[in-house]
Amino acid sequence: MAFAAAREFGHQLASLCLLAALSLACGLVLNRFRSAPLPLLYRTPEQRLERQLSELVKNPPFRITLEETIGLGDFQRAVADRRTLVLDARPSPFYEEGHVPGALNLSRENFARDFRRLQTVLRHAKERPIVVYCSGGSCHDSKLVAGALLSLGFTSVKVFTGGWEEWKNAGLTVSRHP
Amino acid sequence: MRDSRSAVILRKDPRRWRLLISLMARISLGAIFIYAGATKFGDPLAFADSIASFKIVPNALVSLLALGIPPFETICGSLLVIGLWRQVAALGALVAIVTFTVALLSALARGLVVDCGCFGSGLVSVTRMRLDLVRDLAIVMIAALVYADSGTTRA
Repeated sequence: MAFAAAREFGHQLASLCLLAALSLACGLVLNRFRSAPLPLLYRTPEQRLERQLSELVKNPPFRITLEETIGLGDFQRAVADRRTLVLDARPSPFYEEGHVPGALNLSRENFARDFRRLQTVLRHAKERPIVVYCSGGSCHDSKLVAGALLSLGFTSVKVFTGGWEEWKNAGLTVSRHP
Repeated sequence: MRDSRSAVILRKDPRRWRLLISLMARISLGAIFIYAGATKFGDPLAFADSIASFKIVPNALVSLLALGIPPFETICGSLLVIGLWRQVAALGALVAIVTFTVALLSALARGLVVDCGCFGSGLVSVTRMRLDLVRDLAIVMIAALVYADSGTTRA
């Protein structure tokens, strides 16, 4: 009697496994026909954001035009104006060596990590004027970071093309505090 | 004349109510599972996030579960409603709902505030989790009743 019941339950479990396998097959087939299929390797929301941001800064859909660049005079006024958010797009070792007073490090190299670190400041800065700089001369980091910020919905983003080089050569104040 | 006699016999048959309750429980359970499966089909990523937030299964299995559970629920629910392969479908529903309940209990015990994702995505709060737990326990009871009955009755 007990043996028969156990055998019956075994049959039920085997059928259940079959049902589970069939369900998984259905799910996988349906997923293939979705417009945005779920990747089989799951990524947490944080990992997805990091990936999105890294991709964004490599090739931002918004490009900085000539009108969105400023010279040293305007940049000095922006640094003095407390409303303007000044961002340093250079890699963190260069930022730590010295940067424009009040500037925050949002490097192109570690954009996703820095963006998450500065999230509390950036969350309230969508409408604030933002100026980004990098080493100066032919550096592109500031333009890529500014382009990524524009793509993320920041409305007033400008680039100081002279960058760190011009600031330092002008003998202006240098900060070493983060 | 013969018909009215049969009706009287049926009315007096005490098994009639048991059959009726059993039938209603099976169809209700089936409907709940069809609904639960259908709400998850639309946004598998949100369901995957819900599964991951429980911190029970490794990330490598999250997508497979997120893709497999909704069809499993829908198939079990449909079989229960149609009355086909009843015992296996009832066992499937019972195993699924017990697993969800244990996962929810373990999340509450670990102090996690998660969206159970049982019927699509919703608000996330401890109160909501407790309410979900009460609802899941009620479904566990219905599923157990349906499973126990599916082997003995023809409802």
